[in-house]
Amino acid sequence: MIKRRVQYELAKRVVGPFITSLDQWKSKQRQKKRKPRASEFGPPLQTIGKLKEIMTKHYLEGRYADGAVPVAWVTSGFPSEILRPFDFHVVYPENHAAVCAARKQVPQISEPIEMQGFSRDLCSYARTDMGNALITNTPVGRLPKPDLLCCCTNICQTVMYWYRWLADYYNVPLILIDTPFIYGAMKDHHIEYISDQLEELMVIAERVSKKHIDREVYTNILNLAGEGCQLWGECLETGQAKPSPWTGFDTFFHIAPIVAIRGTEECNAYYRMLRDELKDRISKGIGGIKNEQYRLLWDNLPMWFNVAEFATMFAEKGFNFVCATYSNAWAEAKDLLTPEDPFGSCAEAYARVYLNRDMKNRLETMKEMATAFDVDGAVLHSDRSCKPYSVGQIDVKRKFAEDLGIKSIVLEADHGDQRLYSKEQGETRLQAFMESFSE
Amino acid sequence: MRNSYIESQKAEHNRKVLAVLPIFYPKEILTAMNILAVEVWGPPGPPISADVGRIQTYVCPVVRNAFAFFEGGGADKVDGILFPHTCDSIQGLSGLVADFSSWKKEVFNFVHPKGEYRASTAKYLKKEFTDLAKNLERLTGKPLEIEALKDAITLHQKIEALQGKIAENRPCIDMSDMELYTVLRQGEYLWPEDYLAKLKEIEEKIESAPVQKGIPIIVSGIVPEPMSIFEKLTEAGAYVIADDYAALGRRLIKHDEAVNSDPYETMVKRYFSVAPCSTRSANMDLRRDHLLALAKKTGARGLIIHNIKFCEPEMFDAPLIRKHFQDNDISVLYMESELETELSGQTVTRLEAFVEMASSSRSSK
Repeated sequence: MIKRRVQYELAKRVVGPFITSLDQWKSKQRQKKRKPRASEFGPPLQTIGKLKEIMTKHYLEGRYADGAVPVAWVTSGFPSEILRPFDFHVVYPENHAAVCAARKQVPQISEPIEMQGFSRDLCSYARTDMGNALITNTPVGRLPKPDLLCCCTNICQTVMYWYRWLADYYNVPLILIDTPFIYGAMKDHHIEYISDQLEELMVIAERVSKKHIDREVYTNILNLAGEGCQLWGECLETGQAKPSPWTGFDTFFHIAPIVAIRGTEECNAYYRMLRDELKDRISKGIGGIKNEQYRLLWDNLPMWFNVAEFATMFAEKGFNFVCATYSNAWAEAKDLLTPEDPFGSCAEAYARVYLNRDMKNRLETMKEMATAFDVDGAVLHSDRSCKPYSVGQIDVKRKFAEDLGIKSIVLEADHGDQRLYSKEQGETRLQAFMESFSE
Repeated sequence: MRNSYIESQKAEHNRKVLAVLPIFYPKEILTAMNILAVEVWGPPGPPISADVGRIQTYVCPVVRNAFAFFEGGGADKVDGILFPHTCDSIQGLSGLVADFSSWKKEVFNFVHPKGEYRASTAKYLKKEFTDLAKNLERLTGKPLEIEALKDAITLHQKIEALQGKIAENRPCIDMSDMELYTVLRQGEYLWPEDYLAKLKEIEEKIESAPVQKGIPIIVSGIVPEPMSIFEKLTEAGAYVIADDYAALGRRLIKHDEAVNSDPYETMVKRYFSVAPCSTRSANMDLRRDHLLALAKKTGARGLIIHNIKFCEPEMFDAPLIRKHFQDNDISVLYMESELETELSGQTVTRLEAFVEMASSSRSSK
């Protein structure tokens, strides 16, 4: 235990920062030697180095967390702020699955679980995470074994089935925060239900962590989380400038801290730095792409395995994704988390997330974004792995055309598994979609 | 047949009619409010309208067919639709029907809790029941009477007691699976008293000694479609001794306590007394152990997991259940349906081979 704790602290305070500094130094040396290449993109964001540092440190800490501190695995929509006062090292398997997908490793990581009879029709995040449990190596080394599993149904019901499997496999307690889906207005008994569950959660978290919650610490963390969401929202809003100082694809990567280390000063400091850099780029007229002619909205999760290729294909034709419903989801809680009512406000904030609300709300949110960011078109990623996000998109496409006169396309693919995307067919359709703007 | 029944229920009993999507909903409340529930499990067969194209092909056929059915006018005789919050796909369907479809009648939601019994869950569920009853006033124009709810619970308890008796005595009932299931599934649309009468007819056929001679099989899945699975099982020399279909056995409530002075409290207890279901449970052990206990109690020689294509909750559970049964030396067959009208020849061959294999295994008792 003491040895693990020392390793954990070393990874956190010494090795992590050293490795990232070394990595940055090597990167700079490589850049010096490299001849500058023609690119459709604007200069890279300077904060990307800091992002790498934060996330490398996070995963490096994770390697030594089990046995040193209590480890909780949580879904991306879980109110993880409540776990931090118990000193849990919080792991986001979805974040890890996205890293695996970006490296195109989902097929081999999910293979062991598919061999056990789990269908390829299941969510690729879930398959990656379950497959990861059966193998030893992933792109981030290894994930620490969980002492506690926490899932929240505000993003989908799939997480319940997936975490049920994890709980069975790791034989650890599972906390389920069930957030009733909001049809129309949110009801008082829904908020009360979630608040009650948060109270129940603490009993289990106390038992696992052997610590009592300090409610003042929790309130402070909640404040930091609210501020983090606000800062992330400010970063996203810079996309309204013309040209947008970054691309929607950039936001998919810079989202990592608000997902993984939300509720920490480190997270907020990062987004202050990013916001300032984006504003500086606006003042200097620096765009995410060099020749922004058309502005697009992206709906649904990214296709992680194809982000760079996609970004290039669009940028070459002067198309920039200036906003994305997916990135926006983590900015939604900015006004909802309040210290006056730490549990009630947390309950409401986590129930009101985009995917936990009805079609009408989704359409209105998208229309508001389309107007605020002055988009010319939209790409709706019909994601085989995410039914709550995808069902209804065909009607949204029609409503976009009818109500806003905006062209859009529904593209069937997957957020993690490249085997479920027909590249040639997809690119042909997208090329035709882009050509239609010049008609 | 259902349409003529719906019309007669409206004309003769002044009842409102709700189409209801799978799986769990408080039928007692509907009965107490004089509302006929007509369940929509697809319906099976090809989608009845081109609107099916508005839902992606990787979504379960129950949802796609139901949307085509509603948009194609198949449910025009009902007064509204009730969507239980079963899964992401039904949640999406509810949004589509309420916000984007040509459907202009009432849409209701029953957002039941997920996971096992907890103090928070019980408290919430009671409020969700009362909230639904309040919302249904929009349809009936009058509030739910507590005494009527108590009577409705008692009526449903009688039905469940009979269903339980039929399930327990399956080997002693001289009816084929097809005949039996044809009657049992009428509970999906008959008024409870009419259904009770049908069940009593089955009860009268219970013999004092077993009459079924085939290989006893347990079935699990969402809904037995196509129904010809039962004919093929009979032809292969097997019969269904225990049922865990979400449409049937999994909804059998085992709660026979007298109705509480607060009937909503009774309903909460009833809700948590049903068998574990992939769409609600957060505990794998419960479901696995329940199914194995059912197999052992009935002496089933094999398990058929008859899933609907793209049904995510079931797809997550199936491999674990299969392994658990195989570890206990009980044969398992996994098969998928897309709500087609007939089983494919390939599937029939698999069924026959499975029954042959199960027949050579020892009883699970």
